[in-house]
Amino acid sequence: MPDWQEIARRRLTPLALEAKRQEEIIVELADHLEDLYSDLVRQGKSEVEALKFALSTVADWDELRREIQLAANEEVIMKYRIKTLWLPGVCTSVLSSVLLQWFQRVPPAPPVIRLWQGTYLIIHWGWLLCLPLIGALGAYWSRRAGGKLLDRVLAASLYALALTCAMALGFCIGLVSDFGASLRLGLVGFVVDLLGYGIAPFLLLLLGALPFLRGDAAESRRAAVSH
Amino acid sequence: MVSIGPQIKRGSAELAILSVLAEGPLHGYQIAKRIEHQTRGLLRFNLASLYPLLYRMEKRGWVKGTWEDPPGGRRRRYYRLAPAGRRRLVPLREEWAQFFRALNRLAGVAHA
Repeated sequence: MPDWQEIARRRLTPLALEAKRQEEIIVELADHLEDLYSDLVRQGKSEVEALKFALSTVADWDELRREIQLAANEEVIMKYRIKTLWLPGVCTSVLSSVLLQWFQRVPPAPPVIRLWQGTYLIIHWGWLLCLPLIGALGAYWSRRAGGKLLDRVLAASLYALALTCAMALGFCIGLVSDFGASLRLGLVGFVVDLLGYGIAPFLLLLLGALPFLRGDAAESRRAAVSH
Repeated sequence: MVSIGPQIKRGSAELAILSVLAEGPLHGYQIAKRIEHQTRGLLRFNLASLYPLLYRMEKRGWVKGTWEDPPGGRRRRYYRLAPAGRRRLVPLREEWAQFFRALNRLAGVAHA
């Protein structure tokens, strides 16, 4: 009789699961293979044929390993994304948005720089000064929740990225709907908005996030899973 | 014998597992054999298709797996239907019944 547990262990490990759960899965799958093998031998197949057939029921062991890990970690992965990216990212975005509204309404009025043919750049300096703090908050929150480097960057800068995407979408829609308007003017307006509400905020948010981008991601992940 | 495509098989897999577990606790190999037997070989689960699905259903709380030592047998992980799985089974059966009724009507019209 083949050592089914050894066969399953060799093909499936390492699984990104707790050692106890990994061993349980190996034993369970080995039991399944052994049952199948025994049935086939009872039905008259030779041991070699039965072994070959039992092993052929898994076409791709790497794929099976991925599927099992995904199934076992489905909930953990979802919670991880919410905790390390979406929750801090959405909160810092709301905070950035509320502060922008506040600085737009509360005096003194921000300086306006006239550029070209009616386009102008508004410097919301009060808001811009707040952005590094908001970026720091997002990155710190994500790191504390166990976020990887990319999660921390995204959690800190989600607002600027979302705004950039929205502006790009608006520009594209504008191109289609206002076909007769000046493309050059539209493009200048888009670039100015992109600078004022996309690129500059992104850099400032990232500046604030910098101190929290360092740290062991693996350790953070372990902390997140253990929470 | 009618051949069923992989998409339909995937969609019906949860119903198949929940249905056989509604009859009583089974271990993985028994689940696969029971489904194969009851569908006369039309639905077949192998190791690669069964266990990821079982683990996913366990995570969702539809089935519960426990290690048991049956008298005279070796220690196995038996699965039983959890209350959430029982609740899920009722609408799932109805959805599939409606789906097949719709297909029957369609086939009836096509042959008319």
